[in-house]
Amino acid sequence: MWSYAGRRLLSVIPVLFGISLLVFIFLHLIPGDPAVVMLGERAGPERIAELRSKLGLERPLWEQYLLFVGNLLRGDLGTSIFNQLTINEQLARRWPATFELAIAATLFAVVIGIPFGILAAVRKNTLLDNLATSFSLLGVSLPVFWLGLLLVYLFAVNLQWLPAGGRLSIDVDAVFKPITGFYVLDGLFQPQSFWDVVRHLILPAMTLGTIPLAILTRITRGAMLEVLTQDYVRTARAKGQTERLVIWRHALKNALLPVVTIIGLQFGTLLGGAILTETIFSWPGIGSWIYEGILNRDYPVVQGGVIFVALVFVVVNLVVDLSYALLDPRIQYR
Amino acid sequence: MKYRLLGILALGLLGSLGMAQKTLVFGSNGEPASLESGNITDGISIYAQRQIYDTLVDFKPGSTDPQAGLAVSWFASPDGKTWTFRLRQGVKFHDGTDFDASAVVFNVNRWWDPKDPTRISGGSNYEIWGELFGGYKGDKGSFLAGVSAVDKYTVRFTFNSPVPYFPVAIGSGYFGIASPAAIKAAGAKYGTAAGGAVGTGPFKFKEWRPGDRLILEKNTNFWKTGLPKSDGVVFRFIKDPAARLAELKAGSIDFTTDIPPANLKDLQNDRNLRAVFRPSFNVGYLALNPSYKPLSDVRVRQAIAMAINKKEIVKAFWGDLGVTNGHFMPSSFKTYYSPKVTDYEYNPAKAKQMLAEAGYPNGFDLEFWYMPVSRPYFPTPKEIAEAMGADLSAIGIRVKFQTKDWATYLNDRRNPPGFQAYMLGWTGDYGDPSNFFDPHFASPITDLFDSAGNKLDIKELNEVLAKGAASSNQAERVKLYQQADEITFNLALRIPIVHSQPLIAQRTSISGWVPSPLGSESFEDIVKR
Repeated sequence: MWSYAGRRLLSVIPVLFGISLLVFIFLHLIPGDPAVVMLGERAGPERIAELRSKLGLERPLWEQYLLFVGNLLRGDLGTSIFNQLTINEQLARRWPATFELAIAATLFAVVIGIPFGILAAVRKNTLLDNLATSFSLLGVSLPVFWLGLLLVYLFAVNLQWLPAGGRLSIDVDAVFKPITGFYVLDGLFQPQSFWDVVRHLILPAMTLGTIPLAILTRITRGAMLEVLTQDYVRTARAKGQTERLVIWRHALKNALLPVVTIIGLQFGTLLGGAILTETIFSWPGIGSWIYEGILNRDYPVVQGGVIFVALVFVVVNLVVDLSYALLDPRIQYR
Repeated sequence: MKYRLLGILALGLLGSLGMAQKTLVFGSNGEPASLESGNITDGISIYAQRQIYDTLVDFKPGSTDPQAGLAVSWFASPDGKTWTFRLRQGVKFHDGTDFDASAVVFNVNRWWDPKDPTRISGGSNYEIWGELFGGYKGDKGSFLAGVSAVDKYTVRFTFNSPVPYFPVAIGSGYFGIASPAAIKAAGAKYGTAAGGAVGTGPFKFKEWRPGDRLILEKNTNFWKTGLPKSDGVVFRFIKDPAARLAELKAGSIDFTTDIPPANLKDLQNDRNLRAVFRPSFNVGYLALNPSYKPLSDVRVRQAIAMAINKKEIVKAFWGDLGVTNGHFMPSSFKTYYSPKVTDYEYNPAKAKQMLAEAGYPNGFDLEFWYMPVSRPYFPTPKEIAEAMGADLSAIGIRVKFQTKDWATYLNDRRNPPGFQAYMLGWTGDYGDPSNFFDPHFASPITDLFDSAGNKLDIKELNEVLAKGAASSNQAERVKLYQQADEITFNLALRIPIVHSQPLIAQRTSISGWVPSPLGSESFEDIVKR
């Protein structure tokens, strides 16, 4: 298994190079450049030309790309054109925020979606099943931005139960000491802040987790329905095992393969796709950062951000693949 | 044990609440590009910098009238080519170093001299100095010839030609005076999240978390006794207006700017909130490019100005937050309004007739460009464009709407022959009419072209503007800019559609916020209950 994992990790290298080249080409294909964005409506052409040359944008594209790859090989993702911070530094600050949010959203989806899916399958064609199917359809089709604002208006503005945005309240922020950047984890060592951290995580996690929740419900239901008709399930029932044991031990374990695949894929998507949620909740994560980078034509930010997300995506999928062996003893990696 | 933990938790929360009770939370509509003064042009950076730095000249609250800032007085030489500033004594930077004439000279040299060794390489380009003052040290067009410290508290600026508006221009939010010692110590990191910023202003830099917030704390040694009135300010970066409004309603921010006019009613209906109007200091206009044949005829341009029902459009999209009056300058410059300028009457029939006289009885096709982004002068560009397009189609002009992403839009309008017709606007930097006229009408005009694709050069207008910018005689300046007002109105190259009052909002728990027409003001007087 380890040699398989090693080989998979090695195969990441050409993938990352391919991605770096694609991102580089696409970014430079978009018309407009950072100099114009930075100077805005007031700047004259001379000033723009000056800034372009200062930023090295006059150099041939291949030269700019080679420079970028050269730095990448040294582990240096460059420096933001806009705020002069290194990409490594910004990634270090932002990835825990996005990871924490993605983990919370995934947990929200898993904890609700899987039992929902199981229930729907077990009680097929009942009211419960219909409700679960309808809700999951609704969940997939709700626009994230709309849902986020709706939740904010309901829970933060009207009911005042939860905060409207950010990772911490201003008063708690003044005393909170980030250690790992994962605020939930850091909050465990600072009990007076823990509940504030969790409260700030709830609405964004619900917003981001709704689509995966809907997908998981449907996938779990489908996979369970398939497994529940298998011979070994009938055998288990015939042997007189309790229904709970049949469902949780015999059926669910075998239905989990596609579910785990989807969880992995969804988690990867959440990392890069949290743009809207991060925007609504002013969450200082990677998604909104890359998005801003695209608008500002901040090439190093977009390149560095996308490569990082791609790397994580590959690793998450590897972990998912490896987990198959744990779930199904018939699967072995050589 | 469980109760002890709960007790700690409660005490911790209460303690922290008490500690930060008077900290203001400002919902910033984005993140500053930099905290280095003189090296930014965006309003968000200026807003944050205004809290950290002071400028030589300040402005009376809510107006563009100058008042003493770090300089207590200033005067020009009889020929208008020298400005002398007497500085305030006893002021200290946040790092404890003295503010004096050498600090001013140090700052000005960094902005003006491209070879200054303390300039930060990379990033922005100190472009605002060049834009406002004709270029940099060594440039042929540079207004400034030299800056020197006459004594510890007197600074003298000498110019190649008279610059009568220099005090208000150097007082604009771009030019906060920073601590030389701090700049030397931080090097290339100065003004970034890693390096911070040091001024003499009401609040001190504490921390900048990129993508999240900027935290400033009270300057307890501020030179204005008794100020600031709050313990600190947190700038939270909330780019989306809907999210910002939601946070204001939820109470997690105390005040914010850049609220779409459509939310005015919503604000007025919420008893915890107050809508605040920033005095207008902008113009949203429709540019008509003579490089496109039909638009090279002034009668066609005037017909367009007559065909657009500006009053109705302003009423529909801005309500009480906008004014249209035919002048390119907002009403803060009323003194410079020509009495001969009254806006073109809305008269589609007459406009159609003028088009026929110009040889277009059946109208013509027109590519109409609208901005892809919202600005205070055009909060909903697409819808406003459609309204104008409907008016134009009524006189037979067949409008084809176009847009591009913002960076390309700004860039491509300058590529000859430019856009046929396009929307854009301007927010002033300082209280002088030259700041509205020169960037748009002084030769060569970089985004309007003649039929050969050359940048437009309107000699008569240019002469008037050059005289106005150089004259130290106020009566003469008024006359000259009234003349410019008249010429630009008749040319109808940029049809002013609106002077808008940007809508900003606060919770009723804060008081003392007096918004400046210039776009940024100090938070020193704001109190939170």
